[in-house]
Amino acid sequence: MTETRTTLREHESELVVASATAAADGVRELRLVDESGTGLPPWTPGAHVDLVLGDDLVRQYSLCGDPTDPSSFTVAVLREPESRGGSSYVHEQLTEGSRVTVRGPRNHFPLVSAPHYRFIAGGIGITPLLPMIAMAEASGAEWSLSYGGRTRASMAYLDRLAAYGDRVHVYPTDECGPLDLPAILGDPVPGTLVYVCGPEGLLGAVEDFCSGRWPDGALHLERFAAKQTESPTGGERSFELVLAGSGVTLEVPPDRSVFDVIQDAGISVLGSCHEGICGTCEQAVLEGEVDHRDSVLNESEQAANDAMMVCVSRCLSDRLVLDL
Amino acid sequence: MSPTASPAPAPADCWYALASSSEVGRHLFPLRALGAPVVLYRTEDGTAVALEDRCAHRAFPLSAGTLDGDLVSCGLCGFAYDTDGQCVSVPTQPRVPFGAHVAAYPVQERDGLVWVWLGESGRARLHRVPELPWLTDDGWAGVEGTAEVAAGYLLLHENFADVTQVPFVAPEIAPAALAGSTPPLEVVVTETTVELRREFPPAPLPGWQTELLGADVGDATTVQGGFFLSPAVWADHWDATYAGGAARLRFTQLVTPVDDALSRLHWRVSRDFALVDPDADARMHAMFQDYYARVRAAMETAQRVLDVDGPGPEVNVAADVAALRVREIVVGMLAEEGVAARPDHPST
Repeated sequence: MTETRTTLREHESELVVASATAAADGVRELRLVDESGTGLPPWTPGAHVDLVLGDDLVRQYSLCGDPTDPSSFTVAVLREPESRGGSSYVHEQLTEGSRVTVRGPRNHFPLVSAPHYRFIAGGIGITPLLPMIAMAEASGAEWSLSYGGRTRASMAYLDRLAAYGDRVHVYPTDECGPLDLPAILGDPVPGTLVYVCGPEGLLGAVEDFCSGRWPDGALHLERFAAKQTESPTGGERSFELVLAGSGVTLEVPPDRSVFDVIQDAGISVLGSCHEGICGTCEQAVLEGEVDHRDSVLNESEQAANDAMMVCVSRCLSDRLVLDL
Repeated sequence: MSPTASPAPAPADCWYALASSSEVGRHLFPLRALGAPVVLYRTEDGTAVALEDRCAHRAFPLSAGTLDGDLVSCGLCGFAYDTDGQCVSVPTQPRVPFGAHVAAYPVQERDGLVWVWLGESGRARLHRVPELPWLTDDGWAGVEGTAEVAAGYLLLHENFADVTQVPFVAPEIAPAALAGSTPPLEVVVTETTVELRREFPPAPLPGWQTELLGADVGDATTVQGGFFLSPAVWADHWDATYAGGAARLRFTQLVTPVDDALSRLHWRVSRDFALVDPDADARMHAMFQDYYARVRAAMETAQRVLDVDGPGPEVNVAADVAALRVREIVVGMLAEEGVAARPDHPST
């Protein structure tokens, strides 16, 4: 009997841009529809998809539409002044009728059931929070949203959020200054979860503010750009990689990632962004001291040392054993 | 990260197919799901209703009472409940006591099935019921059966995810191609679903299928698709194509966790051929009744091993990737519900 060759991949579909509209200054909303009739996979609030915009141009965007709609995905994309190609492609190339390959969805920012939530959005970070807010509202949870942005005109979905009344607090920087974190987070309440999405400056500030004030596990945040990690002094080092399930031992040289080495060995492993932000390549760690360089796992998850993103993270000890 | 097959709590935030539409009518139909007693019935206008099957007054099933119009009256104390589970009258006083209500579960009827949401009710409308059009579409015929299986719901899904099990459990049902070759297995995942797909090289169809088709059609190419759509549904597609025709089969396995130790398996086998053959249903029913009885026996045996000896180390092969993804999805669903117990950290 020959061996069954098994390949693992994420769901991919070619979707059509049904509408491309301005959701705010510099924000383009795309509604992507499935014309095949097979239906799009279900997802939950906090999920994102990859837009495959070119061979080396894959970008992650949160789903901000209706999770129960099997025929379309909605994303909103901010034009980044220092675009690395993704946002300018979306703004300049994608118009009604364009076709785009969409991979996923996947979710590394799931909304955990709780009686109380504080949502904090900075700018385009509002997108994953929109379906979360709909879910919190449907669950009968008590919640509030603090939404900061450069100017009112740059802040997407203010009209949709207005329907929620005084649960939503809008803080355009030009009117109110930056988000007042002590006012928003100064009174930790047991049973409350904090969900934050926005630019790195906001995420870092919230992490710093919550540290020591809010219980471990209360804060949930999602990064869309890789966190700046200090480059190791003296360059990368090599280490031994053992894949326990597959029964193979490999060597990870200084110039190759764990992900690349696994793939080269012919073992099927999922991966997408290769920057440690999408969470697709997460693997269980059995042994070895992980050198975490991703933006997915939080501090306590990294400290647990039982999982790693193999696209960017490496190993501080000489031997890394994965459950793969 | 590496959950093992051990008793897992079942996700409550999921639509489960508790009954066929034809089973629910102007009578009180009791069953259990997710450890809760549920009574199903239809209102006078035909709407299916699911209520907690226990009177708010004293321990007594509402299903042992009566259905009067759209109201259910307890057979012991006479408390009457409306379709929202609200008590609207009690026999001994004019005022309805505060707090006299039972849970009313959201219901959707689709594809000839009554889907019930036993989780946080507000979240129901943000989740979809899987689409299984072949159960009711013209051009399809089918047989069905129900079995209570003394095994966890996750064991059943893992069994369906295991592409190797059919030729072992029921060699006479499987196409010849299945036993003789190992084509590449493609596993496609999303946040909430797992799909597996294999294409078999040309080979004769199994004897029973040839007989139903009424002619030896020669070699057929078969595409097998397996779909974990939610903890409530595993669907298999067997699409055979041969010179001059095609024959499709759909196996719909509707799984409901009754409690930690017991699952209900409602199965349907649908075909798009031999639709008018008067014997086809009887033959297929007997054959698949037997097949699912064997699946049931195998799963009950596996569950007993787990119960007696506990979850042990398991050796996985590459082809297990689909089953492992199913476990991961369930772990994720439970985490979203805030359920602390994870399949890899069994509470039992």
